[in-house]
Amino acid sequence: MNTALAITGLTKKYSHFTLDNISFSIPSGSIVGLIGENGAGKSTTINSILGLIKKDSGKITILGHDIDNLDNAVKEKIGVVFDGSNFSEELTPTKLSKVLQDIYSSWEQSYFNRLLDQLNIPATKKIKTFSKGMKMKLSIAVAFAHHPQLLILDEATSGLDPIVRDDILDMFLEFVQDEEHSILVSSHITSDLEKVADYIVFIHAGKVVFCEPKDELLESYGIMKCGAAQFDAIDKNDIVTYRKQDYEWQVLVANREKVAKKYPKAMVIPATIDEIMLLYVKGENE
Amino acid sequence: MKGLIRNNFYSMESNVKISFTIALFLSVAAFFVKQSAFIQMIIGAQVFIFIVNVGTSLHADVVSKWNKFELTLPVKYNDIIKAKYISFVMLILFGIVMGSITAISVYVTSGLSNIQSVLYGYEFGFTLAATTAGIMYPLMLKFGTEKNELIMILSVISSIGLLVLAAAILTPLTGEMNMKHPLVGMVSTMAALGIFIGSYFISIKIYQSKEFA
Repeated sequence: MNTALAITGLTKKYSHFTLDNISFSIPSGSIVGLIGENGAGKSTTINSILGLIKKDSGKITILGHDIDNLDNAVKEKIGVVFDGSNFSEELTPTKLSKVLQDIYSSWEQSYFNRLLDQLNIPATKKIKTFSKGMKMKLSIAVAFAHHPQLLILDEATSGLDPIVRDDILDMFLEFVQDEEHSILVSSHITSDLEKVADYIVFIHAGKVVFCEPKDELLESYGIMKCGAAQFDAIDKNDIVTYRKQDYEWQVLVANREKVAKKYPKAMVIPATIDEIMLLYVKGENE
Repeated sequence: MKGLIRNNFYSMESNVKISFTIALFLSVAAFFVKQSAFIQMIIGAQVFIFIVNVGTSLHADVVSKWNKFELTLPVKYNDIIKAKYISFVMLILFGIVMGSITAISVYVTSGLSNIQSVLYGYEFGFTLAATTAGIMYPLMLKFGTEKNELIMILSVISSIGLLVLAAAILTPLTGEMNMKHPLVGMVSTMAALGIFIGSYFISIKIYQSKEFA
């Protein structure tokens, strides 16, 4: 399996924050979800991948090419969507397409027009009249219209209503049907990632906490809900992190089935990605 | 690069239209004020008036975050800066065209044809426009566009300062402190051109070291 994106030891230091030795990769034909709380380092990671900020150390390769020497032919194959629209508000989608077809040799105008229709984006209205959701849809249409191999999306589904979000997620799934295609998507809406992602990379305080296949994550992680006495009896090696809520302890465990067998009186339930993230960020560990 | 230039003009389209309207109004005003001193000031203003859109264009790029997005496009960093400077040159050319409309129409309708005076109008306008753009763009690139009005005012003051400085330095040759002397006009025009070209290379340096978080 080819690797669409590989990050090794990415480090970027600021006075108040450090992106610390980030490493993960995106296999071709897969969707990787990047999760983490605000300020965890998701956007810094994406900005480093795109060369918008200068990394202090580490190596990033996109489609086999080092980003420090990325030529235009490789950039043609990358589609980017940031949170919100990145186009001049004075432009209309029609004018924007005239700009971009002069820039992307692979731009397909008829496909862009189809996407505008499919996503209900008016072609001749100024972007400044668009809602946030429409601007996001336009950004996504632009990213698709030049036939990229790698899509990099930073909070691309935020601001969209659930129906449009579902349509967009279907577009992502259809996109990766081609095994040459891959997606890196950062999102706060973890339910979206549960639907489409193949791998989840969780960044917390500038470090990668885990990078695991989503299905394995959802199958193996669990939350044990117990009282004080039960909590004290738990082998600390079984605890990933825990959180006390009123009279109940919520304990995140990495091997749900094993823990359920070991503590038959305890209630162990499957954990969602949201809950895993929440417990990692707000929980304690011994 | 054509797409980048196109984007620059689309994003300042409405402001450029306003500039054209004002320049046209000045051309009409020139019919009623048939004095060469006024005509040269009108031509100077027409050459300069389009370049004020530079600040608006840059501010729009920053607000929409197009300046961040365009770095992800299959274009070279240098081409992004080159496209900006080509757009500035085109704005100055718009001004020169409008100034020429004034000069030709005044000559045709009233026979007023003081070449030296008209030439000074072009030189004055070009010095203001090229120096203002040349100072304003790298400053906004470096310090951001939040204070674009202040940077623009400082750039205009600097360009007028350049004219005054040229007149002062050339006093031994011109005999007096005369900003309208042909030699002052020529030297200030050449200096403005030098600033504009130098500004391009400085902007490339700033851009290459800039981070777009």
